[in-house]
Amino acid sequence: MKRLLSLSLVVTLVLSLLGCGGEQQDELVIYSGRSKALVDSLVQQYRQQADVPVRVRYGTDSQLLAALQEEGDQSPADVFWANTTGALGNAVNNGLLTELPDTLANRAARFTPSNQRWTPVTTRFRVLAYNSDAVSPEDLPDSVLDLPEHEEFEGRVGWTPAYSSFQDFVTALRVTEGAETARTWLSDMQALNPNSYTSNTPMVQALEAGEIDVALTNHYYVLRLKHGGAEGEYEGEEEEGEEHEEEHEEEATPRASAPVEMYHFADGDLGNLALVTGAGALQTSNQPDAANRFLRFLLSEQAQSFAATRVNEYPVVSGASVPDYLMPADEALKMSPEFDLQKLQNMEPTLDLLRDAGAL
Amino acid sequence: MGSPHASTRPSVHPHSQNRSPARVLDTIRRRWYVTIPVAVVVGGVLIPLVYLLLRAFQADPGTLWDLVVRGRTLRLLWNTVGLTVGVLAGTSALALPLAWLTTRTALPGRKALTLLGVLPLAVPGYVMAYALMATTGEYGTLAQTLGLVVPRLSGYTGAWLALSLSTFPYLFLNLRTAFLGLDPSLEESAQALGRGRWRVFVQVVLPQLRPAFLSGGLLVALHVLGDFGVVSLMRYDTFSYALYIQYAASYDRIYAACLALMLLILTGAILLLEARLLKGLLFHRTESGTSRTAARYELGRGRWAGYAFALGVAGLSVVLPAGTVGYWMTDAAAGGVPWAGLGAALWDSVSASAPAAVLAALLALPVAYLGVRHPSPWTRVVERAAYLGYATPPLAFALALIVFSLGAVPFAYQTLALLVTAYALHFMAEAVGPVRSALYQAPPHLEEAARSLGRSPLGAFVSVTFPLVRRGLLVSMAFVFLSAMKELPLTFLLAPIGFETLALNTWSYAEEAMFGQAAPYALTIMFVSALFVGVLLLREQASERPAAAERT
Repeated sequence: MKRLLSLSLVVTLVLSLLGCGGEQQDELVIYSGRSKALVDSLVQQYRQQADVPVRVRYGTDSQLLAALQEEGDQSPADVFWANTTGALGNAVNNGLLTELPDTLANRAARFTPSNQRWTPVTTRFRVLAYNSDAVSPEDLPDSVLDLPEHEEFEGRVGWTPAYSSFQDFVTALRVTEGAETARTWLSDMQALNPNSYTSNTPMVQALEAGEIDVALTNHYYVLRLKHGGAEGEYEGEEEEGEEHEEEHEEEATPRASAPVEMYHFADGDLGNLALVTGAGALQTSNQPDAANRFLRFLLSEQAQSFAATRVNEYPVVSGASVPDYLMPADEALKMSPEFDLQKLQNMEPTLDLLRDAGAL
Repeated sequence: MGSPHASTRPSVHPHSQNRSPARVLDTIRRRWYVTIPVAVVVGGVLIPLVYLLLRAFQADPGTLWDLVVRGRTLRLLWNTVGLTVGVLAGTSALALPLAWLTTRTALPGRKALTLLGVLPLAVPGYVMAYALMATTGEYGTLAQTLGLVVPRLSGYTGAWLALSLSTFPYLFLNLRTAFLGLDPSLEESAQALGRGRWRVFVQVVLPQLRPAFLSGGLLVALHVLGDFGVVSLMRYDTFSYALYIQYAASYDRIYAACLALMLLILTGAILLLEARLLKGLLFHRTESGTSRTAARYELGRGRWAGYAFALGVAGLSVVLPAGTVGYWMTDAAAGGVPWAGLGAALWDSVSASAPAAVLAALLALPVAYLGVRHPSPWTRVVERAAYLGYATPPLAFALALIVFSLGAVPFAYQTLALLVTAYALHFMAEAVGPVRSALYQAPPHLEEAARSLGRSPLGAFVSVTFPLVRRGLLVSMAFVFLSAMKELPLTFLLAPIGFETLALNTWSYAEEAMFGQAAPYALTIMFVSALFVGVLLLREQASERPAAAERT
């Protein structure tokens, strides 16, 4: 019995070792911090038009960054596709990303960092989500800086101190208003005894469930709760064929009637900050051309429209279609303060602030 | 360990007196087939430890000290210990009555109840947490169907309930194995000497269950220490939650390594405590003749209370999560079931989990054997080392294996073999307990008799002891298989690229609130795991039957 078991085990181990040995030379390996649930069908579309096999490792930004750093020179990855500027900035600081050719960097010039190490892929906005059964928008402050003064929200505020978009926002606060203002804001917020969530989706659900009244989040989490990803509205005029296959029903269960709404602070307030997701080619890539082709694909109208209709994020290149429940991109951009995203690279002081405030 | 205080111990094993290094070396030479797997185990545990120490020492000592010594660390410690103690109490309250009901009473349908007591292992903790959260609250299922508004579960209560419900089978199975292996003669003697049933249970039966309590409780405790899925969903601030946040949100591997080391120190303390409590417990039979199964109690009217308890537990721990996922499924029914993706994910899950289960059991056998048959400080360290691997935070474990495999065996990086090894090393602690319990109840005299009849040590073990511990081994494999099916962080980082298990799909979709898409994957995990548990119980009954036949 034991001998049989050991034998079968050894055979399995050897077979699996042979079967899935390492990376093949010609394949494109993407490390994606964007979740599989959101972007997998886009990758499927790319697979059909790519000339090399495409393999994706999904994880969180920081897990993948940690893996990339531990892998060092031996990393099999070609592309790092991240959720946040902070993660990309960290990758740049650690010398993981190569400089992109001008043709790529100029596609989305408004948000591309001047070092050209990565390209933005989509835009999202910070908002204050609120439960419309419990809160009326007239009572909400003009600036996110005044939110801690609303003592009626004691124990009823949700935030995500561990989540990268929130940390990007705190970095922006620190960089524009100074570290002391940021520190005060954080400790005043802590005095409100906020509920901390690890990610936005459960927080928005808690908002719907009446566990909290207001939540600092990104705009598309609210839209995804209420509208899901738009069904069948996916129209790319130039490309044919693929875009009408709707076999992957990727939307979350939408509830347009959910008592959750978005509140925008006054124009130019940091609470409306525009943030981007992005991607870059890795130094260790043995497929730099294939990597750049994939990045170009992410900026294509096909992929940009996908982001808008399925994920409810804003395109970074003009011309991509946007579902009608999404506020027009120009209007949303007008609300966000002008901000050089490269300033978001230095996460360390932000993490220190969050730890000092006891939020991390 | 010839300490004379354990009065319940019927015999002292002759080998247990040897402690001198020369004897240890001699043992190693004679038992090389034991030392190889033991070396693998110790190595596997040391790699992450060395990695964490390396990373932690990269930190600037001043900054590090400030990070470690602050109020938050103390709060984390308090919360972690509080949750662990609470879950231990909760699981005991669920597992002990259920184990007794299914082994010592004549309750009709107890086989089915046994199955219900094991099935929660098929439910991933995070699914349990999602289910509890979906049930409670103003917009929860309870409110919508019965108009019953209970506050949405979160924090300590939520984490405690979800963890108790999803981990009590570890204790249940250990206690069950112990109940089944109990020699009834002690109880009968006590009863013959005029003790009442209740006093016999408390004074004679319970003490004999101590090894099972300890190994089951240890698994539960380590599970609570390491779990991040439940505590992160329930937002309860424990060490592993803080650690998860460090790895998931900040890009700081160094502070994370420090937290991981603190968690390991806590685990070390628990392991020491368990070792102290376990000291000197040997409960195998010493008399001649074969053992009998104890007489079963007739419960009479009490059986309705028994059913109510068992079904209540099953309702919360199995029906509730399965029903919730089933409800998500109806949500997604319009979209159709993604059969192709499901099949691929199922194959990925099983092809990693099944070999890992076998490997873990094979590694655990010599470790447990050494610990039970040759108890010495050395073997105890080895046995404890196996548990340390379980308690090493999986993300740290995965990063350590990345560094190690790229440095030492680069061809193995991102292969299935590495993932299988990682699973096996990580979950081996789950495999040690059942084997150890089984070994405690397998008399060493039998093996010695076989030796004196001319068998080699290995031959004596294979022909005599192995059949006796087979039940324990099967339980070991089941534990590891079920855990590996649900595993997330190791799979995230170590799986071959594009390798996507059922658990990864479930977590990924559920995290984006695409519960409809998560449902088929979650259901498949539960279904396959349940099937596996069912087959296992059938095997266990098959191996019980010959024994029963011998009796008559």
